[in-house]
Amino acid sequence: MASFLVPSWVRLAARIFIVVTVIFLLAPLVVVVGVSFSESQFIAFPPDGLSLRWYQTVLSDTVYTSAFWTSIRIALLVTVSATLLGGAAAIALHRRMLPGSAFLATFFLSPLVLPTIIYAIGMLMFWSAVFGPVSFVTLWIGHTVIAIPYVVRTTLAVLSESDPFLEEAARTMGAGRIQRLLYVVIPQGLPGLGAGAFFAFNISFDEAVLSLFLRKPGLTTLPVQIYGQLEFSPDPSVAAVSTIMIALTVVLILVIDRMLGLQRFAST
Amino acid sequence: MANVRLENVKKAFGPVQVLHGISLDIASGEFVSLLGASGCGKTTLLRIVAGLEAVTSGKVEIGGRDVTALAPEKRDISMMFQSYALLPHLSVAENIRFPLRMRGIGSREQQHEKVLAALETVQLGHLADRKPRQLSGGQQQRVALARAIVSDPQVLLLDEPLSNLDARLREDMQVELIEIHKRLKLTTIFVTHDQEEALSLSDRIVLFNAGKVEQQDTPADIYAQPATEFASNFLGSANLVPAEIGSDGSAILADGQSLAVGRELPVGKVSLVLRQEDLSIAAEDANGLKATVRTRVFLGARCRYILDLAGERIQILTGNDQTFAAGDTVSLSIDPARIRIIPR
Amino acid sequence: MSDRTENLLLAAPGLFLLALAFFLPIGQMLALSVEGPEGPTLAHFSRFLGDGFYLGVLWRTVRLSLIITVICALIGFPLAYIMARVGPRARLWLIILVILPLMTSVVVRTFGWVVLLSRNGLIPELLRDMGLAGRTFALMQTETAIVIGMVHVLLPFMALSILGVISRIDTRLEEAGRTMGCSFLQTIRTIVLPLSLPGVVAGSLLVFTLSASSFVTPNLLGGPRLQVLAASIYKSVTQTLDWPFAAAQAVILFAGILLVLIPYVRLTARDNG
Repeated sequence: MASFLVPSWVRLAARIFIVVTVIFLLAPLVVVVGVSFSESQFIAFPPDGLSLRWYQTVLSDTVYTSAFWTSIRIALLVTVSATLLGGAAAIALHRRMLPGSAFLATFFLSPLVLPTIIYAIGMLMFWSAVFGPVSFVTLWIGHTVIAIPYVVRTTLAVLSESDPFLEEAARTMGAGRIQRLLYVVIPQGLPGLGAGAFFAFNISFDEAVLSLFLRKPGLTTLPVQIYGQLEFSPDPSVAAVSTIMIALTVVLILVIDRMLGLQRFAST
Repeated sequence: MANVRLENVKKAFGPVQVLHGISLDIASGEFVSLLGASGCGKTTLLRIVAGLEAVTSGKVEIGGRDVTALAPEKRDISMMFQSYALLPHLSVAENIRFPLRMRGIGSREQQHEKVLAALETVQLGHLADRKPRQLSGGQQQRVALARAIVSDPQVLLLDEPLSNLDARLREDMQVELIEIHKRLKLTTIFVTHDQEEALSLSDRIVLFNAGKVEQQDTPADIYAQPATEFASNFLGSANLVPAEIGSDGSAILADGQSLAVGRELPVGKVSLVLRQEDLSIAAEDANGLKATVRTRVFLGARCRYILDLAGERIQILTGNDQTFAAGDTVSLSIDPARIRIIPR
Repeated sequence: MSDRTENLLLAAPGLFLLALAFFLPIGQMLALSVEGPEGPTLAHFSRFLGDGFYLGVLWRTVRLSLIITVICALIGFPLAYIMARVGPRARLWLIILVILPLMTSVVVRTFGWVVLLSRNGLIPELLRDMGLAGRTFALMQTETAIVIGMVHVLLPFMALSILGVISRIDTRLEEAGRTMGCSFLQTIRTIVLPLSLPGVVAGSLLVFTLSASSFVTPNLLGGPRLQVLAASIYKSVTQTLDWPFAAAQAVILFAGILLVLIPYVRLTARDNG
């Protein structure tokens, strides 16, 4: 609707509404960032003084650094496994040649519908019963399961926008199975695969529920570490770690937007 | 370049029979149009020749070789799609090189030369490095054509390639297709629902109706002598008027008017095919069939009348020198030799 | 190789992983929920449903989830509508502002609220300074804190669900509404709202499901006294180590969510079929 068709009081109200909502959405993040630069021993906002001391603390504290590396390692592995498995599945689903395509699509998206806590308990109990104590691999597999639906969804969304005759056209031009995958289907699905990969990384890196259920000494991810500190005795070092996580998220969002356009995936 | 032979090809999608036993011989270098309304099976037949659809029964031969069970990528064909199916991530030149690359035809340099030659053929040499989405519809269409001819296929398949273009471009492309065919002499199968395209391009038209071949002939013959009511309806805007051949040899319309047909025919029910451009119109007092004007449509140089003739709605196309208004009674005349008669 | 074989091969690794590492564990959990020392038993369920404390936990979970869902819908609808109707630049910014919290770890976001809501945090102090609250006023460890934190966590889901539907509504429908005598607000009520209802419903289900099953935010903002069902599950798993009881509670949560989801899936399946 042209903007002059909207009464001026509505426009004013909309503006106020947006400002308040944005403040509400950003406030906790801003506060965390603010606290991280505090000089004082105590968590306070606005911060008392300005310093980077808590970043120094964090970077020299092996509890944090090892949790950080655990998180990064798992997130990178999950990115690879979820993108490969989810991407391949999305291609198969996109072609609609398998029996029960609709059922299969639901199957691949089901980890999205089921609350993570229910899956987390199941995974913990299953792994303990079958393989014994949980390990790095358990968490890798668990995060991959959670991340696969995102890759499937973004890849399917992108593939469904492409010309459905491209593969057939490639066949008439002499392209065999592997060639069609490499030169036609994967290039078409690339933006979706890319977005899915970034989402997979983000989900694994930020995930707290599964990581909390599967935690054990030596298998602590960054969110679990932060959660533990918050329950126990938070000091501004938690804010410094959290700020690093926020910064990583910002970078990820910018990369997705630059490479692929955020709007496409915002509502898929 | 090769001939194509279809032998009793049948195709069913589930319970729906789409092709009822099509047999067709297409000579090497021939330009054949498959003409018909949407859903008549013409595109399915083209896809069967391409190998994109499997036959339910029957046989497909290209160049004397049985290819019925051969995958499309192993057939030496190329196909131009209605949507053009240009690979959006590749440049124009890379798109055209794609079939050469996939089929491993020639060295890199030879491929490059072929691509340039194909681009010249469609007059797009200056756009080689563009991406498809940067081109207009007409340019994309030419790229698709260049890509289809670059590998010098045994058979060129065209699936309604002109239907996404506006009228002017379509006429230009028709001329271009004729010239390219003249030069390359590729065996070409062209699917269209547009009779004008089929008439102007082809050596032969195969008219489809509900999964069967209704009639096949040269454009001139199929236009002048449609064998069935369907054919006469589909080709040219012919008027079909039911009549009976009386004992005196003339045709008697439903309202009792009679019309000389200039030939000896057995007594019986027939349909008269009266082409709209063959009929001439005159004032009521002239000799001829009496009809009533329903509507007059002004077309600039010409004029179309919608008329009631013996209870049938017919159209005629005339010059603009005399005008009649709705409700006027007029006389229609036609050269008996131009009347086509189909037994009913 | 046939096309079907190729596609089966492509889907197979994912299928296997989900079957073995997703559906099997859930089956294992279902089995454990009825496991007793002498064969299958419903004892864990009856323990939960017969205990006033746990029924209180269940009631709090449902009540808070409903409140959170309604608030998210009330904020999410206008937010999504504005996002859909502003210019492309402003829309991109708004999407980034909604996605940034969404993609930030729940733990980090909740930490922000811990700071804001704590006794000498910004918000209680502001309220005290404005004379709206007494000296002893506190927000932490209240249900209000849980609701604020959870609305923040879940609002992006609601907004994006509704945005997906609203951005597909033809704006000419609204213009047509205006030419037929609707005021702006009448257009919203009679045209936009009904058409975006599928998004509101989908978003509400998502928010309700996520809200009923989360424990990180409720634990940190509500404290141990204000337990919700998911927090109780977490406690059974990590503190009391009563896994069958945890499984039974998870099944109750699962059943409750299915109770809400299934009618919706039926409904939308009918619409699309």
